Amino acid sequence: MPAIVIAVLVAVAFFFGYKYYSKYLAEKVYALDKSKPTPAHEFEDGVDYVPTNKHVLFGHHFTSVAGAAPIVGPAIAVFWGWVPALVWVVLGTIFAAGVHDFGALVVSVRNKAQNIGTLTATVINARSRTLFLLIIFFLLTLVNAVFAVVIAILFEANPGAVIPIFFEIPMAIFIGQYIYRTRTSALVPSIIGVVLLYLSILVGQALPIDIAPLAAAMGLEARTLWIVVLFVYTFFASRLPVWLLLQPRDYINSHQLFIALAVIFLGILVGWDKIVAPAFNTNLPEGSPFWFPFLFITIACGAISGFHSLVSSGTTSKQLDNEEDARYVGYFGAVGEGSLALGSILACTAGVGAYAAWQEKYVDFPTASGGAVGNFVAGVGHFANNLGVPLGLATIFAAVVVISFAATTMDTGVRLQRYIVQEIAEIAHITPLARNITIATAIAVIVPMGLALYPGKAGGDAGFAFGYLWQLFGTTNQLTAGLALAVIAVWVFTNNRNPLAQIIPLTFLLAMTTWALFINLGKFYSEGDWLLTVLNAIIFILAVWLIIEAIGAMNRARGERDRTRRGTTPR
Amino acid sequence: MNATHRIILVREWDAQVSASGCCGRLGGENTELGDKDTFAQNRREMEAMGEVYRALKAELVDVDMEITVVDPRNMIWLVPTLLKDSRKRGLGIGGIWSQLRRGVSYNAIIVDGKTLFSGRIPTAEVALEAVKRELDLRESELAVV
Repeated sequence: MPAIVIAVLVAVAFFFGYKYYSKYLAEKVYALDKSKPTPAHEFEDGVDYVPTNKHVLFGHHFTSVAGAAPIVGPAIAVFWGWVPALVWVVLGTIFAAGVHDFGALVVSVRNKAQNIGTLTATVINARSRTLFLLIIFFLLTLVNAVFAVVIAILFEANPGAVIPIFFEIPMAIFIGQYIYRTRTSALVPSIIGVVLLYLSILVGQALPIDIAPLAAAMGLEARTLWIVVLFVYTFFASRLPVWLLLQPRDYINSHQLFIALAVIFLGILVGWDKIVAPAFNTNLPEGSPFWFPFLFITIACGAISGFHSLVSSGTTSKQLDNEEDARYVGYFGAVGEGSLALGSILACTAGVGAYAAWQEKYVDFPTASGGAVGNFVAGVGHFANNLGVPLGLATIFAAVVVISFAATTMDTGVRLQRYIVQEIAEIAHITPLARNITIATAIAVIVPMGLALYPGKAGGDAGFAFGYLWQLFGTTNQLTAGLALAVIAVWVFTNNRNPLAQIIPLTFLLAMTTWALFINLGKFYSEGDWLLTVLNAIIFILAVWLIIEAIGAMNRARGERDRTRRGTTPR
Repeated sequence: MNATHRIILVREWDAQVSASGCCGRLGGENTELGDKDTFAQNRREMEAMGEVYRALKAELVDVDMEITVVDPRNMIWLVPTLLKDSRKRGLGIGGIWSQLRRGVSYNAIIVDGKTLFSGRIPTAEVALEAVKRELDLRESELAVV
């Protein structure tokens, strides 16, 4: 089937999801009221609280939520065939991500624009905020580990991408200095930056940097050396002021996001490529994880992502002009992320050559997970080639886009992890750690680096333990989403409306997550893989804790509502 | 836009933008994960632009206008809107480019597609005067049309 037909069908499904389901949510579940003043009006100060046109807000929200994770998960998940991955992305976006992102925005707006962490404490209980921080701690550890592996895999497979990526760092710093110090236009320097970045691909192609010989001389594998280099880079990058590197790179990334989306969908349209992957992969080797429940934790971002609740309840909720705009900004933002995931599925199923080539890339789970992001890059390279870009350059271009986003995520992830390490040290009264940024950063770097380098006993050498680490990352992301959905469900219920729209995805996510964790726990234990067993067990305990908190919160809300109906108050 | 005039105040939010949705959201003092020192510079700019915003809102109550505060990294909205507004104003290609180049800046104040300040935030009084002057000029242009 031509990929463009799938893209059109999914667009139609998203259109109907937005037109009808989000309308149902807006009217019946969240009961949006245009006349109710939003925090943007109530506390309007032109600083944090600013009533903002919904199209402006959507641009900001979508640019913020889009990243590399909705690319990697689907690129692995097509291992089970393109239909399961596609169905989960479409249904997840419509019935889970849309509900979650839209709901987090509404609940925040109805609670003075409080963020999701604070809401967790007020709507569920104070203890659940600790749960929230613990989930985020493990999520960030795993994010930093898996993204380091993603970048290392891409550098190893695309040595032509090394020079452009390392050129991007001083260039972003220069652009930032130029913009902030001379206080001139950001448009021209950022466009020039993107052009120079893409021109540097020519240099990268002519001078590919292959560190395999150096790694071999040091007795290491190339990927191992890249992972170490990346964490050393992140250690320093995360210590830099944000205006020096992180923010200028935002300007370049915001151009790249839309260029990549345009290349994918225009390339599919022009090339009229057919999907070569099987609809359902029945040719799985023995011992492969079964798609049910693993599909639902392999694709987290792209079907539902818990971190979106932090964006929805962060800057977005402070700018919402009227409640009805929440539908467009929140729900449609989720649709945008689903479109990125769709692009990833199409790149890995229609852009990788003939069926035999696809089968080779997805021969078993370690090969599929280890090579997934490379397959996406090859697919996007093929789509760009459809538009006339030479294949070699096009492939490096795709690698540069993914690495730019993944490197930004790592930089942020290490900074955030450092804050959390310091916060935990503060709570535990470990004053030297709480006050020493270098030690806190070192911990934030060494722990995920250890995980990224961990070979694992089940992973095989194709992706180290990457496939399993990715699944664990998926579970923590789904748990974050589960916590936000629990907050939204309790809020909907206490406002005398039907919370089924939240409870169904919440129950489904928690069931799939705990089930997958339980299966992997047995697997890692039986293989004597103690590191993954312990990590898996901790996340399993967090999942069970979340289930208990969610059930308890719903029961308390039910009791509260019954007492209110009977006209009695609790003792 | 339903209002006759559009005033755009350009300045960065105290938060990371790209690649923050799935796996990290670095923000300033009012976000869940972040601290006030990381984006202190942005905070100062936000507060300075906030003074301009409040002055415009307080003094231009009778003007049919929409004030939008936008982050320059939100190019998907800012660039097409500036193009549309400056075209509506009848500017030629050179004029449009000039407004666009100056408008997509770290800090800018734009009235109906014309960039009055670029790269700096004036005091609230200076901004108010300039915006008033520009609105009067624009009203007279519209009256001729």
